[in-house]
Amino acid sequence: MGIGRRVAEARAEQGVTQEQLAVAVGLERSALAKIETEKRRLSALELVAIARELKRRVEWFVDDAPPALVSYRRAHPDVATQAIDLRLDELVRETEFVVSCIPGLISGQPEPLPHPTTAAEAEEMADTARRLLGLGPADPAHNIAGLAAALGLLIFSLDLGEGADAGTVLLERGGVTLVNGSRMVGRRRLAAAHELGHYLIADEYALDWRIASSEADGLEARLDRFARALLLPESDLRTRWARWTNAPDESWRDAAVRAASHYRVDMATLARRLKELRLVEHSRAEDIRQVQTRRADIVEKDLVVSDELAPASLPRAYEQAVLALYRREAVTEGRALGLLLGTFDSASLPELPPVPGSEIWTVTS
Amino acid sequence: MTDEPPAYVLDTGPLSHFAKAQWLGVLKTVLKEHRVCIPDIVREEVRQGIPHHPHLRSVLDETPWIEVVPLDTEAQLSAFSHYAKRLVGPDGRNAGECGVLALAETTPGAIAVIDDRVATEAIRGRPVVVRRTLGLLCEAIRAGLLTVPLVSALADDLLESRYRIPFGTGGFAAWAEAQGLL
Repeated sequence: MGIGRRVAEARAEQGVTQEQLAVAVGLERSALAKIETEKRRLSALELVAIARELKRRVEWFVDDAPPALVSYRRAHPDVATQAIDLRLDELVRETEFVVSCIPGLISGQPEPLPHPTTAAEAEEMADTARRLLGLGPADPAHNIAGLAAALGLLIFSLDLGEGADAGTVLLERGGVTLVNGSRMVGRRRLAAAHELGHYLIADEYALDWRIASSEADGLEARLDRFARALLLPESDLRTRWARWTNAPDESWRDAAVRAASHYRVDMATLARRLKELRLVEHSRAEDIRQVQTRRADIVEKDLVVSDELAPASLPRAYEQAVLALYRREAVTEGRALGLLLGTFDSASLPELPPVPGSEIWTVTS
Repeated sequence: MTDEPPAYVLDTGPLSHFAKAQWLGVLKTVLKEHRVCIPDIVREEVRQGIPHHPHLRSVLDETPWIEVVPLDTEAQLSAFSHYAKRLVGPDGRNAGECGVLALAETTPGAIAVIDDRVATEAIRGRPVVVRRTLGLLCEAIRAGLLTVPLVSALADDLLESRYRIPFGTGGFAAWAEAQGLL
């Protein structure tokens, strides 16, 4: 697709008319129409103005889109673009750029796992994933973004308000997941685990709404099962649940609070997992679903409070790669701040060392 | 191969420094054998800078010898995009430098005059030649067009704002002397 067509596409996505865009960038409407139908070339100067107006980077109009984005768009031509699509597109391109400069950012990517066709296979897949993530049988999957990065999946969290829970795009090597940070921490972690499932079975592009909803079926339901099994491994949960529920002077509610905190999941996920493992009956699962952890619980049970994947949250390895690019002056300060998605300001960047005296030769010759 | 002297593509920064010191005429003399151009995006940066830096007006008014070139071919926009990926953040700054590098890269035998270190890093592996303002100034001294004290004053400004080279204000002349550079 040529640049003009992309201008038309970006304009449509922003819901802007030709007239409005033309006025905003100081062009005649007819000139813009010719640009969009590629009967007239546009200059870098015009492109910069259009890109700014349509909230896209210049590269978006010029460079080919990553293959996974292209095939997704081709397969879903009538689907309206969501905020999460736009941010994912941006994140994928930014990540590919950083990876092109620092290939080590994407470390090991495992061979694709087979699609789980039953709940039992989803459980097995979770066991495999936990092994790949280096988790022992009794280890909770804390810092899931850090764990996933070791498998080549970079998980970002941004405040997306209403909309999808998460999306994942497979890169040539590795993958990018965007989690909707507007959700609560347990839901964010569940979404991240679900997306890790998509990544491990090498789904090119996945956009997930209502993760762990009762309406999900087929593969989505099995990846929900995978996500719960990853976060709440069966044998460890059985052992701990028995211990917590048998603790003297503590109720089932205390056990639920301890479990949710230990595994960092929300009560709905915990309830569902306990029920599917037949550790509680339906009515008790419903009770657990309603439990809210109180401040008193946190103090009395000495729980660790975590706000994992709080938006905006970037994978640590990605942040380190951007800072390395800034330090070696491969990107400007403004570009580094942009790649860090506004999570840094100038004062947070490292101070650059003085330039070696020998460089004077290159600047004076 | 062509025997024509190389074209020089100037960036906003060097133009601004020369305009501020009222040395645009000197620049013209230094580059008199050459085609001198700026991409349209640099002219726009200069135009937008005038309210805060009135000396930039002379760049628009007194330089008919500088050719303004629009960047609109596929190769130029592709090169522009390559540099934007490294230099341009959300505030849109440095688009001019991307234009300079893209124009120099797509103009046979052209040399970009650019001072930013990241910009010169961004040309790694690209078919483009870059020179720095300080190099042009030294050349002007050697050609007898400028004196060492004058260049020293401008060099201080350049060194402070662009090069971060560890010798202090006023140090250029002594350094250049000691190195036999002049």
